[in-house]
Amino acid sequence: MARREHLLKVGVSGVRGVIGGFLTPGLGASFAQAFGTYVGKGRVVIGRDTRTSGPMLTHAVNCGLLAAGCEVIDLGVLPTPTIQMYVAHVKARGGIALTASHNPPEYNALKLFNREGLFFNQYERNELLDLFHQSQFTQAGNDDIRTVQQDRTTAPALHIERVLRHVDADRIRRRRFRVALDGVNGAGSEMSVHFLGSVLQTQLEAISVDPSQVFPRIAEPRPDTLTELAALVRRTGADVGFGQDPDGDRLAVCDENGHVLDNDDVLALAVQRALAHTPGDVVVNLTTSATIDDLAARHGRKVYRTPVGEANVVEMMQAVKAAIGGEGSSGGIIYPAVHLCRDSYTAMALLLDLMAETGQTVSELVAGLPRYARLSGKVPFEHGRLGTLMQSLEESFPDAQTNRMDGLKLLWEGRWLHVRSSNTEPLLRLAVEARTAEQAQALFDEAWRRLTS
Amino acid sequence: MNTALRISHVGLRGIVGQGLTATHVMEFAAAFGTFLEPGRPVILGRDPRLSGNMIREGVVASLLACGHDVIDLGIVSTPVVQHAIQRLDAAGGIAISASHNTIDWNALRFFGPSGIYLNTAEAGELLDIYHLHRFRFEEWNKLGQLTVSPNAIDAYLDGLARVFDLERLRPLRVVVDCCNGTSALILRRMNERFGCGFILINERVDGRTVAHTPNTTASIAELQLGPLMQPLQADAGFLFDMDADRVALADELGRGVSEEAVLPMLADHLLPRSPGKLIIANLSSTALLEDVAARHGGRVLRVPVGRQAAIDALSTYRPEQIALAGEGTGAVMMPQFRFVYDGIASMLALLTMIRDRGQTVSQILAGYPRHHILKAEVPLTSPNIPALLMELQELFPDGVLDRTDGLRVAWPDRWFHVRVSQTEPIIRVIAEQRDSEPRELFETLLDRVRSWN
Repeated sequence: MARREHLLKVGVSGVRGVIGGFLTPGLGASFAQAFGTYVGKGRVVIGRDTRTSGPMLTHAVNCGLLAAGCEVIDLGVLPTPTIQMYVAHVKARGGIALTASHNPPEYNALKLFNREGLFFNQYERNELLDLFHQSQFTQAGNDDIRTVQQDRTTAPALHIERVLRHVDADRIRRRRFRVALDGVNGAGSEMSVHFLGSVLQTQLEAISVDPSQVFPRIAEPRPDTLTELAALVRRTGADVGFGQDPDGDRLAVCDENGHVLDNDDVLALAVQRALAHTPGDVVVNLTTSATIDDLAARHGRKVYRTPVGEANVVEMMQAVKAAIGGEGSSGGIIYPAVHLCRDSYTAMALLLDLMAETGQTVSELVAGLPRYARLSGKVPFEHGRLGTLMQSLEESFPDAQTNRMDGLKLLWEGRWLHVRSSNTEPLLRLAVEARTAEQAQALFDEAWRRLTS
Repeated sequence: MNTALRISHVGLRGIVGQGLTATHVMEFAAAFGTFLEPGRPVILGRDPRLSGNMIREGVVASLLACGHDVIDLGIVSTPVVQHAIQRLDAAGGIAISASHNTIDWNALRFFGPSGIYLNTAEAGELLDIYHLHRFRFEEWNKLGQLTVSPNAIDAYLDGLARVFDLERLRPLRVVVDCCNGTSALILRRMNERFGCGFILINERVDGRTVAHTPNTTASIAELQLGPLMQPLQADAGFLFDMDADRVALADELGRGVSEEAVLPMLADHLLPRSPGKLIIANLSSTALLEDVAARHGGRVLRVPVGRQAAIDALSTYRPEQIALAGEGTGAVMMPQFRFVYDGIASMLALLTMIRDRGQTVSQILAGYPRHHILKAEVPLTSPNIPALLMELQELFPDGVLDRTDGLRVAWPDRWFHVRVSQTEPIIRVIAEQRDSEPRELFETLLDRVRSWN
């Protein structure tokens, strides 16, 4: 079967698709009406990232929510975590962020939050999806139709105030760090400039912070997409560089030498900082580095592993009252003391605070982390072959400990491999980690051979 | 029979929540967005019904998704929307208003360039696109932009002030029942800007409550305005529907004037300036029109009942051939203020007439032959209406026959019209006679219609 991008996906994580013939306004409105039916009449908060389809989709979602008898509070363009915190703060019935996160600009999506401003758990997601398919929505009559209210100021102030409670802001300000920022012209553009420049009083060198412009680079913040940020760090001699995604939940970090960190290491630094100050365990997904296990062990804390997906991590974090969590490779950290959501502002603040506290540079901090070598790749597969592939892989490594929670994870002392199928394409994602680069390469090659033969 | 949703050449209308849903609205607006030529903006306005908040969002989303820029006028009358389409050289427009229906209804009305209702051919094309469900949604970087234009009422009043001498009307004492609709906004502004002294009742505009059914009939005019006329020493009283495209009136003694009289009065006022021109009226409107036309050498063109037939007739003549067009519901179009149903313009023309003649409303009416009209509705139960009409036709072989819309038979001093309603499952029976009630004719017709099955 030919590989192709999924232009529209309606599933347990909501609706995501390409604008044009796929994610249509009617679909957005229907899903919003299903959401409004599920959460009930009352206030629902909406906000969006800077995609060109944002205004259109906002009106569509407003229509569906009003039709279900909800009152809408429209926050306009704001980061997803900011929207989530506001939902809980105003005791709304729920919230919807219109953002396709790190996906390309032709995509958009509805991210759905419950009344606590958290991702829907798997039960809530299934129930909502059933409701959507049944199409039996609340249909408000004239008397029950409410209005769309705007609130453009409360949420950013609330978010920043929450973050500052958990760092020593004065300590950060005194250092007058030189910070480089790539805002990808995303939802956080204005708030990040305010937060880093005015609130934390860093010497800010910012690029791509115009929310009226399209994304100037691949939206996902990774080492290979942040070359401009790395160049900016080198040119300005910055202490650190931050790269956001369009909805301001993920963060990538560049050290003072212009080297963009592995996202797993960014999470590790945040875990290190959090465990030193906050009681509780750690939750990460199966693909996240074993560095986290070593750090947790230093603090006598446990690590819980979940299937890949922010909602899964959040669900587990809530259940075990975790101190911190995240998903290594995809970038971003979840620090429940601020809010139980992925948040680039908390990540920036924790890292700056760690730098201020220790007096170390970013590269020195990374050097202090337990070292592992990581490799990853994508293998196309034919539909119907997935089970056989997984089984043969498991049989070829009989000495490994196995975990089948999400695809297949094989573990040995000091190394592991993880294979899972993509949610959006007929692809297997392969990740390996080992203590040395040689070990990692050997394991990767062996797994690759088994999967492609 | 459920009549809560009607999709026809006239557009989309229904009871919101019980028939008319967000999905209908979005799909119909998408069909209109597909129907319109790209390139010029689309004008949008709504009456104060609360459901307009929801419908507005859906319409905006669909139009933006089809790549049209949208200019939203907010809560304005339908004639203001039509005026703005012409003024702003727009591709067309949508008025969200169920006009004279009860508050729980709403509707979409579609206009082409220069603010004219779509003719039957155009409306048919729009319906086909709607039923085909193949909409022209644009890609992510070609979506439309929304702008809000709060000054449309002022621009409309500028237009009115160019046609009517408002200064000259100021001495008249006029009471207006706004029926909690858009006429309140327009007349308040006229009072502010032009020093008019309109005394407004039922002027609260909250979209939830209406003082009475927003229909323009003589009986409502008498009930609402009648008791105020003499105590306030008013010269005339006017009653508008929600979107101010229709008007009814009460005379200075507090008597409701038949809604049938508005069109002949305006014909009497306008024909002297346009000798020999056409009056377009439907088959159910009073024969007083022919009397008035005969006085001024005008001619009456009778067309089937319904806005569509009048629009089609208008589009087959050149504007300079027409003196005015309208129906017996108080909806009148005048060439001096564009060919749109406009209750405010009708009121100003009637007031001008009162000033010109120096006569009271009752004196003007006393100058006309008296026609007595009887109207009834019979539930539609039989599928065999053609045979009923044939039987009635054979029963009255001596009259002048018109079969273009049901059956109309006319004699020099009386006529009757039997037809099936386009909007409700009823048969309408109307009979009119000069000088005395056509009681016998009316009863004969009713007997035949009621006993038919």
